[in-house]
Amino acid sequence: MKSQGTLSSLEELIEALRCLPGVGPKAAQRMAFYLLQRDRPGAERLAAALGRAIETIRRCASCNSFTEAHLCDLCASAKRDTTQLCVVETPADLVMMEQTLAYKGLYFVLMGRISPLDGIGPRDIGLEVLQKRALDGQVKEVIVATNFTNEGEATAHYIGEILKGRGIKLSRIARGVPVGGELEYVDAGTLAQALVERRPV
Amino acid sequence: MHTYPYKETSLLVDAFTKASGRITLVARSARRPRSAMRGTLMAFQPLSLSWVGRGEVKTLTKAEWLGGISLLRGEALLCAFYLNELLIRLLAREDAHEALFDRYADALRQFSVGEASAPILRRFEKALLKELGYALVLDREAFTGEQIDPARYYTYDPEKGALAARDSETEHAVIGRTLLSLARDEFDDIRTSHEARALMRSLINHRLEARQLNSRRVFRELLEL
Ligand SMILES: [Zn+2]
Repeated sequence: MKSQGTLSSLEELIEALRCLPGVGPKAAQRMAFYLLQRDRPGAERLAAALGRAIETIRRCASCNSFTEAHLCDLCASAKRDTTQLCVVETPADLVMMEQTLAYKGLYFVLMGRISPLDGIGPRDIGLEVLQKRALDGQVKEVIVATNFTNEGEATAHYIGEILKGRGIKLSRIARGVPVGGELEYVDAGTLAQALVERRPV
Repeated sequence: MHTYPYKETSLLVDAFTKASGRITLVARSARRPRSAMRGTLMAFQPLSLSWVGRGEVKTLTKAEWLGGISLLRGEALLCAFYLNELLIRLLAREDAHEALFDRYADALRQFSVGEASAPILRRFEKALLKELGYALVLDREAFTGEQIDPARYYTYDPEKGALAARDSETEHAVIGRTLLSLARDEFDDIRTSHEARALMRSLINHRLEARQLNSRRVFRELLEL
């Protein structure tokens, strides 16, 4: 096929690299030249790994995160408390929660958050899937661990709306001054909100 | 009002300022994990900003949290998103709108203390149209200049103003009481506040031309869940 619109392999590669977040035409060109000039084995590995990942990785039927199986290892584990469900925005947030070693329940990964100004609504993230999962009879408590941004807060609000009155205990992780944090060095917004959400001692 | 990821580690900030109106700033390295600006550049929070540059996109040099408005939640938060989308869609860059800025700050403060959202939204929509040069005339008929009769029916033409309607069956007709209540910021009556909402919506839509508001679509989807 030869037409005016056909891109050369190089142009095609540069175009393709632009799908990465934060990568503009210049950065894409730099990456393409680097891969072709300096690191051809690296480029081959990248191409093969991408191809394999696209073919084998799908969404876990239970937590909506990435897995190669029907269920991810975490969801398939017999050691987790199946009555607790912690809702996070991204797989990276799940990893952070796991590092705390403070949580033994299961997760649901939304793969995004509601952002009205970016046109991201409930259908673009896993809100309906979450509703089904949370109401499957196993889950007794849902812990909302979306970010403390306006978008994370809006998402938390709607999770509350779709689950309230359905016999499920609903909670939101607390926010405040970091552990070991000295007030002098905490940012004003965090401190202000910690004051609003103070608790009796 | 909103931030967008920019290059690998920066943010583009769409800010509404008192003295310069709506401006676009780049916050360099603001997406790095330890960036001091990261948590500060939050929509709906009053900030003190310093920047350099004369081009369309300026460089943010300092962002300080002024505080005084607690973080918004629930319905108030969604309404605030709608206000921001209106500002982003309808305000040209770098035109100062001090009166509207004050109205916006008041609206956020009122949302944050849990005041009813409908009156806040209507007052803001009216102020916005006025700032855009389309102030509503709600107490007099267009052309004749006659006082609006609370018991008669009217349509409101976005270019002309209030026009007498034959009866309540006329398309988009509202009762005169609705126009007068909207003029006086009175929204206690269910009927007039419903009509005022639909009227303001159609007037805002007219200014948006064919563009749809993302926030409205998202709220609709949320209601359908
Ligand atoms: Zn899973």
